[in-house]
Amino acid sequence: MERYTRIAIVVGPGMPAEFRRSLSGIALGARDAIYALGDGEVRVFEASGKFARAWKAPEQAFCLDVAPDGRVAVGSLGRVDLYSNTGVRMGGFAAGTRDKPAEVTAMRFRGDEVLVADAGARVIRRYDARGTERGVIGAQAKTGGFMLPNGSLDFDLDPSGIVYATDTGRHRITSWTLDGTMVAAFGKFGMAKPEDFVGCCNPVNVAVAPDGSIVTAEKVAARVKVFGKDRTLLAVIGPEHFDPMCRHIHIAVDSTGRIVAADPERRTIAVFGRS
Amino acid sequence: MSETTTRRQFIDRTCRVVGLTALGGAAALLARRTSAHAVFQVDPLKCTACDLCRTSCVLSLSAVKAVNDFSKCGYCRLCPAFMDVTSAPDESGTPSGKVCPQDALKRRVVGREDPDDPNNNYYEYTVDEARCNGCGKCVKACKPPMGNGSLRLEIRYDRCVECNQCGILIACPSTAIVRVLTPGLSPAGAHGGESHA
Repeated sequence: MERYTRIAIVVGPGMPAEFRRSLSGIALGARDAIYALGDGEVRVFEASGKFARAWKAPEQAFCLDVAPDGRVAVGSLGRVDLYSNTGVRMGGFAAGTRDKPAEVTAMRFRGDEVLVADAGARVIRRYDARGTERGVIGAQAKTGGFMLPNGSLDFDLDPSGIVYATDTGRHRITSWTLDGTMVAAFGKFGMAKPEDFVGCCNPVNVAVAPDGSIVTAEKVAARVKVFGKDRTLLAVIGPEHFDPMCRHIHIAVDSTGRIVAADPERRTIAVFGRS
Repeated sequence: MSETTTRRQFIDRTCRVVGLTALGGAAALLARRTSAHAVFQVDPLKCTACDLCRTSCVLSLSAVKAVNDFSKCGYCRLCPAFMDVTSAPDESGTPSGKVCPQDALKRRVVGREDPDDPNNNYYEYTVDEARCNGCGKCVKACKPPMGNGSLRLEIRYDRCVECNQCGILIACPSTAIVRVLTPGLSPAGAHGGESHA
């Protein structure tokens, strides 16, 4: 097993630019800058942890992502808002259907598209920059979508465009091509072995590392796990680093393989690295 | 007829109307207060599901029951309130033990069942109140972050005999038993509830 230690706390109570009410998502931008969503703002921190800038975002926003060109997407109920890298609003679009707005719980830029996790419809929707839907991922599952007892869907993409999504009710990470074909799955329920996923619905968050490893986050036993390319368990981080009441641990992996983890209960963002 | 008389008549009529309206309002308020009924209830935000509801009620089978809020329920296959997730798994990897000592929590597949892979099924959970003793084990297991917190304890009005001094209220360590006004509630005992000693 590999060992990860906490390298730094980027933001937390009592620190500059602390989050006082909420911390609902993180994403990484150029030069591993950390973009964090909370308190009705997007706050940007340099990789060193130094606070850089902030701008207003919808108070009830759930998630965000940063494109390679610096654009920032912020997702809230039925809506995706787009901003420049300095926070100038560049438009946005409605997500979901007229009858059922998308419960946007995760987003990723991919080329000229924005992929949007719609936890209400239990699918991932593909949109172009103007908001035209180009396809749906996950609908071909036997149940017509992901099993999400916890009402949240997270996903990430690897460089080749394979989508890795949290199928929490099945205690799995499932992978999909962009046209919606399922590629593979790994993980199972279990309370004893560290590689298994505990409780009713886990893992709740996922991130893909540059080397192809998959990083997952769980609730109940609030912990982060690293699975290698062959999906064997490489490392477990926590639960001593996270609040036991965490329902999510928002995670991202930077270009050097460091894991950035946001604890919404303690409103803390920490960086973990191999020791 | 003079202008003064007309004004007086107007004021007289206005006073009568106002007086009658006030009288009607007071009567309605009185009627409502008469039909309203103060009852004991469990505050789910304070309740810790400590098991004292089961042992402190004067009824042999407590008037407190678990109820499931379907709007919050995740319809989980591996419901931590239904099955003891720490118990030994069966051949399919599903925990074999149940949380409820009374076997009062029941489940059925929602929609069409997939017999090949139970992971594809959603389950609806209901409480058999004739069995439930209000121990709250399921409520405790459903609390976040383990569950969605859809299960809660509730005093069932058709069972509560409304003691002057509610035994559960006295015993509750978290002051979760509160008095709430329920307009129009039928008096206790009208549903054939068990009489207390």
